[in-house]
Amino acid sequence: MTVRVVNSNRYHHWQTRYAPYVFLAPFALIFLTFWLDPLIKSFVLAFSITCGPNVRVFVGLNNFRFLLTDPDFHKAVWNTSVFAMASLFVQLSLSLALALLLNRRFLKGRNLFRLAFFTPNLVGMVFVGLLFSMVFAPLFGLVNQVLHALTNQPTDTNWLFNPKLVMPALVLAALWLYVGFNMIYFLAALQAVDRELYDAAQVDGANMFQQFLHVTLPGIRPVAVVIVVLSTIGSFQLFELAYLMLNNGTRNWPGPDNSGLTIVMYLYQNGFVTGDLGYASAVGWTLALIVMALSLLQIWLSGTWKREA
Amino acid sequence: MVIVVLMLVSGSWLLFHPIPQNTATLRLWTFATVHCDAYKQAVPGFEAQHPGVTVDVELVHGDAITSRLQSAFWASLDVPDLVEVEISQAGAFFRGPVADVGFVDLTDWLKQSGYLDRIVKSRFSPYTSRGRVFGLPHDVHPVMLAYRRDLFERLGIDADKLQTWDDFVHEGRRVTKRGHRYMIQFSDVTSQNLEMLLFQRGGGYFDANGDLLMDNEITVETIKWYIPLVAGSHLIASDPGASDQAFTRAVEDGYILSFICPDWRSRLIERNVPQMAGKMALMPLPAFTRGGRRTSTWGGTMLGITKHCRNKELAWQLAQYLYFDRQQLAARYRETNILSPLKPAWDLPVLREPRPYWSDQPIGKLYAELAEQVPPQYVSPFTSLAKEKLGQVVSACASYYSSHGEEGFEAFVRVRLKQAADDVRRQMERNPF
Repeated sequence: MTVRVVNSNRYHHWQTRYAPYVFLAPFALIFLTFWLDPLIKSFVLAFSITCGPNVRVFVGLNNFRFLLTDPDFHKAVWNTSVFAMASLFVQLSLSLALALLLNRRFLKGRNLFRLAFFTPNLVGMVFVGLLFSMVFAPLFGLVNQVLHALTNQPTDTNWLFNPKLVMPALVLAALWLYVGFNMIYFLAALQAVDRELYDAAQVDGANMFQQFLHVTLPGIRPVAVVIVVLSTIGSFQLFELAYLMLNNGTRNWPGPDNSGLTIVMYLYQNGFVTGDLGYASAVGWTLALIVMALSLLQIWLSGTWKREA
Repeated sequence: MVIVVLMLVSGSWLLFHPIPQNTATLRLWTFATVHCDAYKQAVPGFEAQHPGVTVDVELVHGDAITSRLQSAFWASLDVPDLVEVEISQAGAFFRGPVADVGFVDLTDWLKQSGYLDRIVKSRFSPYTSRGRVFGLPHDVHPVMLAYRRDLFERLGIDADKLQTWDDFVHEGRRVTKRGHRYMIQFSDVTSQNLEMLLFQRGGGYFDANGDLLMDNEITVETIKWYIPLVAGSHLIASDPGASDQAFTRAVEDGYILSFICPDWRSRLIERNVPQMAGKMALMPLPAFTRGGRRTSTWGGTMLGITKHCRNKELAWQLAQYLYFDRQQLAARYRETNILSPLKPAWDLPVLREPRPYWSDQPIGKLYAELAEQVPPQYVSPFTSLAKEKLGQVVSACASYYSSHGEEGFEAFVRVRLKQAADDVRRQMERNPF
C-alpha cells in the first residue's frame, strides 16, 4: 500500500515537472530546425555581401550603414508606415464600429451581416489583390464605370498608375479584407463585457458615449491591445497585396515612383531578384527591430504591464 | 484527435504514394506559354533522333523563374538542365566571379559551330559577361508599330507618310481626343516604352563594358521629347496598362490607335484580340531623323545550360535543335511569330506568307527586313534597378510637366536623372564582385 502511494507520488511529481517540456518539445524541435537556424544564418548574412551561397564577403556594418542612406529603403519604410497608420486608425475604427453595431441584440439579421463582413477574409489576400486590380482597372474597372455613370467623366483613370492614388487603393483593398476579420475579435470582446456594468452606468445616468468610454473601452482593452499589435505587425509585413495589385506585367513593380514599395517587397527584390541575400537580411533584421519596438511601445502605452505587475 | 488521425492518414498515403521522381533525360524550364507549346511540339522529333532520350519541358511562371532558379542554384536541388531566362533578369545570374556563374560557358561551342557569325551579333550582348557567352539568344525581337488600319484610314492618316517621329506626333496631335482616343500607347509611369526609344537612338542603360549611361545626353534629350507626348496639354499617348483585359478593350474601342509591337507581341495580339482580324497592320517605327533607324528592340530570351546538367553535350544538341533547326524554326515561327536570330533562317518561305489578321501583310518578312538594324542592349546585374529608377524619373517628370509645363522642365529632368543614376551607381559601388 505504502509502495503504491510512493510510486503514485513519484509519477505525479515526474508528470508535474516534465509534462510541460514534453508538450513544448514538438514546438521547440520545429523552432530550432526551421526558425532558429535560419535566424542565426540570416543574422550572419546581414554582415556580408553575397553572390549566391558560395561567394560571400564580410562587410561588417556596411549593409546597415548603406540602408540608413538608401532612399529606396526610406521610401519603403514611409509607405509601410502610412499603410500601418491607415490600418490602425481607419481599419480598426471601422471594425470596432461594425462590432458595436452588430452586437446590438435587436438588430435583425445580425448573423447574416457578421458572415457577410467576415467573408472577404475567407478568400485570402491573393484573390483580393487580383480582384482589386480589376476593380481599379482603367476602361472596364468597376470604380471607373461607377464614376462614369455618376459624373460622366472618362473611364480611363488608371488608379494604380497614379503615384497619389496607389496607397489609398491598397488601403481600400486591405479594408475590405480585414475590417470583418478584426470585427470578430471586437465582437468576442464586447460579448465578454459584464452587462451589469452597463446597468450600473445607466443607473448613474451615463449616456451612450459615456458608457462606451468608461465601460466598453476598458472592458475590451486587453483584446484591443492584441488586435492593435497584430495589425501593426501584419501591416509592416505587407507584401502579397501590393505585389499582386501592382503587377502590371513588369515583374516586382513597386508602383509608379515607388509609391507601393513596402519593406518586405524591397527585401524580396534584393534577396530574390538581385540576389543580394546579405542586404536583404539586413533589411529583414531592421524590419524585425522596427516591429518589435513598435509592439513594445504599444503594449507599454496601453498600460498592460502596469496592470499585470 | 481528428487532427492526429488526419495526419496519420495523409502521412501514410504520402508514404505509399511517393511523388514519382523525374526520370526525363533532360529538363527544360521556360517562362513563356508560346515557347512551351512550340517546344512540346518539337521535342518528339528530338527524342526520335536520340532513342532512349526523354525531354521534359516545364512551364514556370515568369515571376517565379528567377527566384526558383536562384534558389535551385544555391541549394543545388531541382536544378533543370536547360533554362530560358528573360533578358532583363539575365544579368542577375552573371554576378560574382565568372567561375561561379551557374550557366555553362558557351563561347567555345559557338565559335566551333560557326553560330557566332551566323547569329545577329547584337543579340549576344545581353548574355555576355566579361567576354564569355552564357546564353543562346532565342530571338531578335525587332520592333514595329501596330496600328488600327481601319481607323487610320477613317481619320485620314497615311501610314506610309509617317517616316519620322515628328510626322507621327504631328498627326497624333490632330487626331487625339483626350479621354477618348490617343495616337499611341506610351506609359507615363514606367520606362518600358522610353527604353525602347533610347535603344532606337543608340542609348540605353549600360554600355558594353557594364558602365552606366542612363543619364547621358541621349537620355536627357529623349525624355525631353517623350514626356510632352504622355503628359501636359498636348499629349498624344495614354497607357491603359499591361493587363490583357484593359489593353484588349483599348484596342477594340479605338482608345489607342497604335502601339509598339515586337514580333512576340504580334502573336499575343492575334490571340488576345481576335476580333480585330483584318483591321490591324504593321509599319516600321518612325525614325528620329529622316533616313534613320526604323526599329528598336523589346524583350528577349536566352537559353542557358546549367552547370548541374549531367549530359551537357546532349543539352547543347537539344538547344541547337530547338533554336537553329530550320524545320523547327519554321514551325516555331508559325506558333509564335518570333523571328530567329539565325540570319540564314530569314529566307524561310513561311516568313513571306501573308497574314489575314495583319491585313494580309507578310509580317515575317517585314520583321526580318528590320532585324539587321536591331540595336544592341547590354545588361548588367543592375539592369532591373536601372529600369526601375528610370521609371521613377518618367513618373516624376510627367507629374512635373503636367503641373509646370516647359518652365524649368529641362533642369528638373537633369536633376532627377542624375539622382536616379547616382542611386544605381551607389549600389554598383557596394558590389565587391
